[in-house]
Amino acid sequence: MSQTPSPLSGRPLDRTYVPTTGVPARLVLPEPDCFTLSCGAAVRLLERHDLPVVAVEALLPGGAGATPVAHAGLATLTADMLDEGAGGRSALALARTLDGLGAGFDSVAGYEDSRVRLWVLSPRLPEALSVMADVLMRPTLASDELDRVRCERMDTVLQLRDEPGSLAADALASLLYGPGHPWGQSLLGTRASLGGITRDDVVRYHAERYQPGNITFVVAGDVTEAVLRELLEERFAGWEGRTESSGIECAVPEPDGTVVHVLDRPRAAQSEVRVGRISASRCTPDYFSVVALNTILGGAFTSRLNARLREEKGFTYGAHSTFHMRRSPGPFIARAAVHTPVTDQTVRVILEELTRLVEEPVPEGELERAKRYVALRLPQAFEALGDLVTRIAEQVLYGLPEDYWATYVPQLLAVDRQEVRAAAQRYLDPQSMTVLVVGDRAAIEERLRGLEIPVRLLTEEAA
Amino acid sequence: MQIDVDIPFTRFQLANGLDVLVHEDHRLPSVAVNVWYQVGSGHEVPGPTGLAHLFEHLMFEGSAHVPAGAFDELLESAGATSNGSTSNDRTNYWINGPANALELALWLESDRMGFLLEAMDQHKLDVQRDVVMNERRQSYENQPYGLAWETVAASLYPLGHPYHHPVIGRMEDIEAATLEDVRRFFRTWYSPANASLAIAGDVTVDRTRALVERYFGDLPAGRRTPRLEQRSTEPVKSRRSVLEDRVQLARLYLAWQSAGHYTEEDAAFAVLALVLADGKSSRLCRRLVYEERSAQDVVAWQSGALRGGTFEIEVTAKPEGGLACLEAVVREELARVATHGVEAEELACAAAQLEAAFVHALERIGGFGGKADRLNEYLAFTGDPGYARADLERYRHVTPDQVVRTARRLVDAHAVVLSVVPRGRRDLASNSTA
Repeated sequence: MSQTPSPLSGRPLDRTYVPTTGVPARLVLPEPDCFTLSCGAAVRLLERHDLPVVAVEALLPGGAGATPVAHAGLATLTADMLDEGAGGRSALALARTLDGLGAGFDSVAGYEDSRVRLWVLSPRLPEALSVMADVLMRPTLASDELDRVRCERMDTVLQLRDEPGSLAADALASLLYGPGHPWGQSLLGTRASLGGITRDDVVRYHAERYQPGNITFVVAGDVTEAVLRELLEERFAGWEGRTESSGIECAVPEPDGTVVHVLDRPRAAQSEVRVGRISASRCTPDYFSVVALNTILGGAFTSRLNARLREEKGFTYGAHSTFHMRRSPGPFIARAAVHTPVTDQTVRVILEELTRLVEEPVPEGELERAKRYVALRLPQAFEALGDLVTRIAEQVLYGLPEDYWATYVPQLLAVDRQEVRAAAQRYLDPQSMTVLVVGDRAAIEERLRGLEIPVRLLTEEAA
Repeated sequence: MQIDVDIPFTRFQLANGLDVLVHEDHRLPSVAVNVWYQVGSGHEVPGPTGLAHLFEHLMFEGSAHVPAGAFDELLESAGATSNGSTSNDRTNYWINGPANALELALWLESDRMGFLLEAMDQHKLDVQRDVVMNERRQSYENQPYGLAWETVAASLYPLGHPYHHPVIGRMEDIEAATLEDVRRFFRTWYSPANASLAIAGDVTVDRTRALVERYFGDLPAGRRTPRLEQRSTEPVKSRRSVLEDRVQLARLYLAWQSAGHYTEEDAAFAVLALVLADGKSSRLCRRLVYEERSAQDVVAWQSGALRGGTFEIEVTAKPEGGLACLEAVVREELARVATHGVEAEELACAAAQLEAAFVHALERIGGFGGKADRLNEYLAFTGDPGYARADLERYRHVTPDQVVRTARRLVDAHAVVLSVVPRGRRDLASNSTA
């Protein structure tokens, strides 16, 4: 037994008493060092020396959202091609070098950004950064490798037709943004668009986009500013250029009232249900109201959607909602995979919950729980080096203020019930939702029609 | 370069047998609470399947002093999250939150360890049974290739073996579970003597110990799961089967009984898996995906567990591609390792990747695979919570000869071979005699 006298030992235990948590310790966030390399690239470094590891991300604004739909998939295909041979190393040699360093490495593109990411034990940082420099500045982009990577990609797109969740995501994006908008297309592109992409397209995309003036190196971990500066200067000397990133201005279809779209998947064991609409920008002034609103609706385990559809009714393994916030208004999506016979009831419950948020004020206690959940969890968002990089990259990408994370908690805690309701009225109007069901049409269509919402059938090609 | 992957800890045991491990990490004002129970789906044998996992769901539904729904509401109000998982051999639960939520977390964990049944009722069971059946539909039945693994396991481990059935259980068993099954399960397996508690984060040992004694000290001990010895099973005869599924590309599954976890052989199999199919320059990826381009992807892994292990290779064909020629290449490459051995460079690569993975795992105090979870895992399966260094050494010491021997075992042993093919395309299966 413990020899240390404890202040607790004298008090008898009463299990009906819920322990209070008191005031949480303040999260002290280190300020990143910011500097610019002579090649024009910006650097943000958060030093942390508790483990011998460094995470590096080269962040470029502009991604699939800045690519015409005829070239859908070009941004991600170019990202995939960067490490298929670079700086005189073959694709295999490059892979072997990184494996030998025990490094984690990838290059990806999203709708608004492209990223080359590295995670490596700090003693091996110099070698790994040399590979990263080759990949960014001198990718070979060989025709033969492109043919292979493109073929793999086309077969991946084929395979995703088997995944109901993926089918639902693509169909909903297309319904919300229309087939002419880059955000209405899968990041991976289509078999047709991929087939039309030439090596010249990839070479041009790389030359135009991957320029040092566009890059921010976000670095966290076991390296000092002086050492990092020297490593980066050496490797990126002589590289130059900068392009203005231009998004594509593109009209989006006006929703004509709430409609249920059905994509048939005969004999499916479940229906993938989505309810969505175009909602808020990441830069919206009511950002924190939206965060609180979504936490109440579907961002946490005890949120209304999960409480009703899972914990009350057992319809699903989980129901969630997300505001996919981008520089321009991104989609709000509520989602659940549910047992086929309860598909119509699920749609009804989701629409009911949206209506309730629009029409009724949120109880004070529920709002308080939601705000505390998000605010008090903040330390966990700064735990691993990858978390730190993601947090800083978010600031860079969306132009958030320097003190953004330092003021995050008070800003969130200041949200009140009126603001939550106003956000619901702005973004969750149940009369303008796009409902999508990927499921067994024969088993669900009639009951969906009973909801008295127009039902439209989609074909896979149209979706 | 020698990297230290140690997780320092203080260990004590309560009078009722609860093993407690505390690891201080003051990088952030956070705490992780992690509980392991020595029961998994393997302990269901003989009997209905899926009960261990269904039971895990019920652990979040409240206990004597925690009303239904309050478990997660209280945690979320404190900025904490929770989850749990069930494997063949054990069930684990974690709570991650700000450091000041430690006492709340211990109150919740102790209440469900000691007093779950007082608050159990038919409604909770009915709802979670439906949730789990939907989990099964979502993660297995409605997923491409989703039924492959349970088909392989059923062939690889004979009926009566703890690994014969899937952790989530068979649909009809989940549906048939009764309140009495739940009560019996709790009384048999859930108690301090059959559990261990690991706490990591911004805490002190003294205060943590006082809190643990306060909340867990008066729980009745219960009984400890008798330690099941690693059990050798009859090697299966070569079994071939074909599964038609809603898939575009055919996929070949090759599986063998290999070695149990934390053995030398387990490490050698893990290295063999990396040499064969980790990254473009690995042997099978290079040949099938990169050079011949006859496969869409290939993966290999060793999965060591308490009562045996599985080594598996999966290869996905290209559209219209058959699986027989892919199987032939896999067997040829296995034979090549068994005959000609591996290069020093391949071993060095594997060691570098494994070492990095060990360091990566030190980044988080909680959640699945975080430091608290690993302390509990090492305690449960090796008896030594401080096993991290020795665990990495196990991999560092794998010799070329050991890798050759594991490859030789695979060449000599019967494999379970499953072909998953698009509906109506049994012609794509490998020796489709099923």
